[in-house]
Amino acid sequence: MMGFVDFAWLVPLVPALCFVIVGLLGHKTPEKGGYIAIFGALFAFVMSALVAYDYYTSDAYKLGEAIIIGPIEWLNIGGLSINFGVYIDSLACIMMLFASFISTLIFVYSLGYMHDQGEKKRRYYAEVSLFLTGMLGLAVSSNFLEMFVFWEVMGLCSYLLIGFWSFKHHEGDDASDNAASAAKKAFLVTRAGDVCLMAGLFVLLYAFGSLDYDYIFSNAQTVYANNPTLINIGILLMFGGVIGKSAQFPLHDWLPDAMAGPTTVSALIHAATMVKAGVYLVARSYPLFVTSSDAMLFVAIIGGVTAIYTASMALNNMNIKRVLAYSTLSQLGYMILALGAGGYLISIGMQEGNQALITLGTMGYAAGILHMINHAFFKALLFLCSGSVIHATGTEDMRKMGGLRKSMPITAYTMLIGSLSIAGIPIFSGFWSKDLVLEAAFAPFHDGLGMGSVFCVLFILGMITAFMTAFYMFRMWFLTFMGEPRGHCHGESPKTMTVPLMILGVFAAFIGLIVLVNFSYFIIQSLAPGLGGALADLGLYLGFHDSMHILEEIFTNVWTYVAIVLAVAGIAIAYMMYVKKPYIADNFDQTKKGFLYRLVANRYYFPQLYNQISWKLGYGVAKGVDIIDRNVIDGTVNGLSNAVVGSGEGLSQVQTGYVRDYAAYVVIGVLVTIAVIVLMVCYGGGF
Amino acid sequence: MADIFNTIIDALSGYLGQGIYVLPEVILLVAAVLSPLLYFITKKGTASAILTFVLMGVSAVITCIMMHTVTYGTAFGLFQFDAFSSLMMLLFLAVGALTVFISQGHVETTKHKGEYYALIAGAVAAMMFVASATNLIAIFVGVEVVSIFSYALVALKKNDARASEAAVKYLIIGALSSALTLYGMSMIYGVTGSLDLYGPDGIIAAVSAMSGNWPFVIGCIGMIAGYGFKISAVPFHSWSPDVYEGASTPVSGFLATGSKKMGFAVILKIFLVMFVAMRTGVLPESFQMVFAILAAVTMTVGNVVAISQTNIKRMLAYSSIAQAGYILIVLAVMTNYVVVGGLFHMFTHVVMKGGAFVVVAALITAGLGEKISDYNGLAKRAPFAAAAMMLFLFSLAGIPPLAGFTSKFILFSGAIAAPGAEVDLTWLWLVVVAVLNSAISLYYYARVVKAMYVEKPATEEKLTIGKPFLVAIALCVIGVIVLGVYPNILLDLCSTAADALFALV
Repeated sequence: MMGFVDFAWLVPLVPALCFVIVGLLGHKTPEKGGYIAIFGALFAFVMSALVAYDYYTSDAYKLGEAIIIGPIEWLNIGGLSINFGVYIDSLACIMMLFASFISTLIFVYSLGYMHDQGEKKRRYYAEVSLFLTGMLGLAVSSNFLEMFVFWEVMGLCSYLLIGFWSFKHHEGDDASDNAASAAKKAFLVTRAGDVCLMAGLFVLLYAFGSLDYDYIFSNAQTVYANNPTLINIGILLMFGGVIGKSAQFPLHDWLPDAMAGPTTVSALIHAATMVKAGVYLVARSYPLFVTSSDAMLFVAIIGGVTAIYTASMALNNMNIKRVLAYSTLSQLGYMILALGAGGYLISIGMQEGNQALITLGTMGYAAGILHMINHAFFKALLFLCSGSVIHATGTEDMRKMGGLRKSMPITAYTMLIGSLSIAGIPIFSGFWSKDLVLEAAFAPFHDGLGMGSVFCVLFILGMITAFMTAFYMFRMWFLTFMGEPRGHCHGESPKTMTVPLMILGVFAAFIGLIVLVNFSYFIIQSLAPGLGGALADLGLYLGFHDSMHILEEIFTNVWTYVAIVLAVAGIAIAYMMYVKKPYIADNFDQTKKGFLYRLVANRYYFPQLYNQISWKLGYGVAKGVDIIDRNVIDGTVNGLSNAVVGSGEGLSQVQTGYVRDYAAYVVIGVLVTIAVIVLMVCYGGGF
Repeated sequence: MADIFNTIIDALSGYLGQGIYVLPEVILLVAAVLSPLLYFITKKGTASAILTFVLMGVSAVITCIMMHTVTYGTAFGLFQFDAFSSLMMLLFLAVGALTVFISQGHVETTKHKGEYYALIAGAVAAMMFVASATNLIAIFVGVEVVSIFSYALVALKKNDARASEAAVKYLIIGALSSALTLYGMSMIYGVTGSLDLYGPDGIIAAVSAMSGNWPFVIGCIGMIAGYGFKISAVPFHSWSPDVYEGASTPVSGFLATGSKKMGFAVILKIFLVMFVAMRTGVLPESFQMVFAILAAVTMTVGNVVAISQTNIKRMLAYSSIAQAGYILIVLAVMTNYVVVGGLFHMFTHVVMKGGAFVVVAALITAGLGEKISDYNGLAKRAPFAAAAMMLFLFSLAGIPPLAGFTSKFILFSGAIAAPGAEVDLTWLWLVVVAVLNSAISLYYYARVVKAMYVEKPATEEKLTIGKPFLVAIALCVIGVIVLGVYPNILLDLCSTAADALFALV
């Protein structure tokens, strides 16, 4: 019987068609295609909901299997065939659902936010539709190459969206670059990750002879046992792609700069798409990743370092969007940390055949995914709120805001919900997942595993990050909405903007409560096909992921209360610093601050490092090669020829385009080729 | 249907005997002869263009029919019709037809229309002869004909000092390369006693005894250098930016997509078969390494120098050099799988690079300059051309799901993963270089896209693009998308062609 799940391919396809329609005919429709884009996203959401329901009620779900539709052969050469299909399991369902739902709200919000952009709106709506297509396609892909295609489509869209939408930044941030260079950075830095990912896929293709998820997942253990080094290389290369896409240390720097695009795009990139793709890739490839405990340790370390490192940069930033950008980085670090820690537990558990460790590890997995869902809601909310503030005040600089609580109450209180949520105050959604994340990070230490001390450090970093998060979020909120007005404000934003805010506010507050309906069991179901025998005793997992047990885990743990105290302390300090004892403008004069302040404000000098390395070196090499091509070789050749011929032409002329030089290259080429052959033959021990 | 085709072929072979196996080429020779005659009679370039175009179509149809009916045959002991040669013929015909199609509406082309089309038809015919030749002399003569016709085509551009200069440079470097090739061939003839490539008395049959034979090595190097000129591999590349910049744009496109592929056809026919036949040993491994180094250097120099170009034709020239570097991976790895990838990449390169040159030609005709800065704000002035150009450039950079991504994926993956075959990770470094290069290349392609879409145009005036250009651009766009999304339509042919090539061993 055909169910909705058999039509899951419509989920990415309809937004793709909307992209085509808006691109071709958008200018003839109201709002230049805005309604078409909204229809596409809404359709994708409704369809995902139906697919998810279908899957949830199917036999496959009960058996812990994925539903694979298709696959259609895409290319076939000499026995290797690459297929395109649709892979539906609980993870794919979750991803589709929240990506399409949040995108729908963002697109509705765009009607108000982008209203006065005129003709350019057509391109905007076309590009965001394609962006959504990329994310949904990535979510339902059934093999790594298919996933990579959508991954690249999203990278391209982010370039188009960030770079082609330069919104004037008033002197908001010293480091505020122009949009085009930010886009190039986003594109090139993520490309560096993509290169790794592509190489990783080649390694997988070589090791497995297939890129299909179901094949790789069910054979991961065997293949790893045969050739651990190769698979380790493959996993680490793939994780390089994640580092690029999900902006982990040390490729994190593009994300703050990507703020140059419109705020709706930031919301889309940070909440629903793009940066979640990297986390999704780790979660998706979990059965492969957990074969290697070393790789998972690396993943966890990168996550933990990113979390605290980027949180520190948000502490003193004055640009409202950048604070949010750093918080995204930090939260992504949490997700990666949870996935890494959980994967480490599973990996060790599988090596030792220890069912309890595996069970504990699945909690880390569930924590990472839950945090991804919660973060999607509260970060979309926060970004759209900041967009609303920027819309009303015309600036991104928090020094020019203040006291906005009275003139834009809806924005103020929805943003408060978002801030409470991300700070991890109980009941709000961020609390549940953040607590599970920290618990997962603590578990390997608690269980006394080999690398436990590393995880202990990561756990402490995570705790400090939790404190920092509460502080900088409320610093932002107090600066923006409390105190005396320090700039002008047009008043509350239009309905198309505030209604999505209110809807998101409700979700940001309460979505975390899904842990109370056995949701984490639903999440870990997607691990079953990959971990196969290891998850044999499903009853055990059902018990472990029972909501009562999760609650017990959370509330009997002393660290939970420590985390809450830290979060409250962070808020209190922010209150003391920015409301109780109102600051004076020159408090923010960065030049007068100490070394640490400047270090953080300059993002640890990472952008400068990048500039030195990438742009200067890149251009330098390009120019250099060109100069060498034109001058040095020519010069050498001229010099040589003069020396050889000894003619009376005088000094060698350093000019380009002489055909005799071209001929000289050919001759040199021949000589070098002969030299290579001679060397190879000598090296090979003669004929 | 098949019966009708068989009847036609039977009838034709009744008249022509062995000649049927070179019929597609001969038809184009007829076009080359009739084109100036027709121009002389009618005084209209269009008549010549239509004649050439139609005869190319006829030749392509006959090639297709023969691919499905006779599939294999030899003519006069010099030419061999098989899956490989017929596939390459179709490629050359497609390139030729595209060039003829856009030349008539193009402003840069000469007023000597009759000769112009005769030269193109003749060059395509010679390329096709090369594709099917099995004898070193036949190959040499064919390549020379293409070269000489190309010099003339470059020089034919109206009143342009750059064109004349480029033609002279092209001629001199071409002559040097021919000398090297001929020198290499004479060496090989000297040690093997044969000019035929295949067959029991041929060169390929004799190579297994050639290990340790230095004259043979020198002969191979001479030929590699000579044909390296044709494919513009670094360091034999330096003519190509000057020539692509100087020549009229349809001719640049023709050289970049057609003439270069002929060079690859020759290299595959001679060296791939030769070194596969030698199997293992120090000698073939040394040459594999030579080709790997050539590939790495060629793609790197092409991409890196392309970054600093300001003229779009020069940029495309360097990008062509880089693409040649990618295809050279085939010669380093030498497996069936990677040959399929290489052949497929040659086809996708025709649609994407050809398409880009068509857009440039169309814009020059519409009055736009060749500087990248002239493309500022093109999206407003010529939306379709700008969108198509963006697709072509992204395809060249290897963005999925466009054709360039698919072909690069097959080509690069072929270098480390060949299902069912014993491969090791020897060429992993080459793949890493290639993927890195691919990432670099995006930078300069994206720069053009940015100019077209972000920068403010100097004037808002719309550009009108002629009908033939629009049709040609649309065809290339379709090609770039279809070959990317559904590569199987061509991959089967490429597989058969690769099998045919390996059958020659």
